[in-house]
Amino acid sequence: MIKIINTGWFSIIIDSGRYGHGAIGVPPSSALDHYAYCILNHLLGNDKDAPAIEVIGGKFALTVGTDVTCAITGARVRAFLNDQPLRPWASFPMVKGSILKVQDVEEGFRYYVGFSCGMNLERIISSYSTNMECRFGGFKGRPLQKGDEMDFKDMKMGELSEVPERHIPSMKPPHRLRIVEGPEISYFTPDSVKALAEGSVFTVSNRMNRTGIRLEAKPLTFRKEADMSIISEGILPGTIQIPGDGVPIIMLHERTIGGYARIAVVAKADQDLLAHLKPGDHVLFEKIGIEEAQSLWKRKQEAINSFIK
Amino acid sequence: MKLSRYGEDGIRILFGDSINLEIHKKVRQFYFFLKSLELKEIIDIIPSFRSCLIHFDVESTSFQKLASFIMEREPSVSSVDLPEAKTYEIPVSYGGEFGPDMKFLISQLGLSEDEIINIHISIIYTVFAVGFIPGFPYLGILDRRLSVPRLETPRVKVPEGSVGIAQLQTGIYSFDSPGGWRIIGRTEKKLFNPQEAPYSLLQIGDRIRFLRL
Repeated sequence: MIKIINTGWFSIIIDSGRYGHGAIGVPPSSALDHYAYCILNHLLGNDKDAPAIEVIGGKFALTVGTDVTCAITGARVRAFLNDQPLRPWASFPMVKGSILKVQDVEEGFRYYVGFSCGMNLERIISSYSTNMECRFGGFKGRPLQKGDEMDFKDMKMGELSEVPERHIPSMKPPHRLRIVEGPEISYFTPDSVKALAEGSVFTVSNRMNRTGIRLEAKPLTFRKEADMSIISEGILPGTIQIPGDGVPIIMLHERTIGGYARIAVVAKADQDLLAHLKPGDHVLFEKIGIEEAQSLWKRKQEAINSFIK
Repeated sequence: MKLSRYGEDGIRILFGDSINLEIHKKVRQFYFFLKSLELKEIIDIIPSFRSCLIHFDVESTSFQKLASFIMEREPSVSSVDLPEAKTYEIPVSYGGEFGPDMKFLISQLGLSEDEIINIHISIIYTVFAVGFIPGFPYLGILDRRLSVPRLETPRVKVPEGSVGIAQLQTGIYSFDSPGGWRIIGRTEKKLFNPQEAPYSLLQIGDRIRFLRL
């Protein structure tokens, strides 16, 4: 059994995502830092789609009712097991009754906590992820609360392992995000495309959540003849939409359809970083070609595979 | 049918450039055709007014491979067995506390509340798409006389069941959610049940008739 002593600012159950139901508007609601989530499952010897806890903010704490192996990945945190400091991106044994506490977050925004014993939760529409807007999936369809108890699924210990430092990504701002062009890039003036593509500084606003991240910047301008909106159409995670006010919104994993012009899409290799943008952070974009984006992704996968084997 | 890339793992298939039933029929046919093939390489398909967006698995295929496969199969798209389009009746309480934008419509359109409601219920709408949130139907085509722009600043929370209009579309908020459509009424009909397949009451191509309560 896991008992939540403190939730941090915000914590929910996630997994690898809810796919195959885009035609009825069901979004993925997956772990935002997919790399950190995959490594977490690897460290624990779990299935690729095991449920885990995605947390924002420090002061997260929990205790367990049985011996178990636990791990934390994602944002770099100062974490303690019964006041003993823990290594980042590593698994560690927890004995019955011990207390895991995350003091604060040093770098990045979201971190992932998982267990070798899994969590006894129900898949809703083929996923453990929490869809918070619609209140289904995860733990009772809602963020975790102090005192929540979840049962373990089975009784297995994981091997103890850690991630070599070179495989822990930097999450320090300013964030550099590579992008490829989106379907409506031609709606914008060359100056605006250049501003976005070649390193103007954008700031993450406080209007951000799992649905999207609104940036602050000098507004981008639409060409005179271009529409300010489009006929609503499918979107994928990482899509950068420009509403009528000209200020970008990066869409995350909670929407299937959008009605704003899609100027660009964040390269897959850089999408995990979106989990770590926080209010006030600076973001710079760099436009690259699709082949370059593909080779970046390939290299990232190779790095993961060489490490996981 | 026009294929183009959408990021590294998307294919956008465009069937036309406007909101009309002919184009949507092609979208629907293609969507059910592609779905019937049950390709492992396809993670998801999002059909809407004039396009299908395919999300594919870059580990098992590529844009080139999947696009040429689709082009090869195009001649057989029309042979797919389409599910029967169903018609649903949705009872709506119009105006008052359930329709906070009714007053705006009356002043903007120069129509009375009764006229607005009568025009709204006079059409059998087609479900062009389901999304941005689970179960939300994008319905068309709205009578031009009711066409109004979206709110300049969307509401943070539109209550579940709210019936909204925007340009030539009307829709129903399947959950409490942020939203920018003008709200004219509310229904108690549940549109989405995550506990039981097929989860969404409405699928693309279904039809809706609104009833005034």
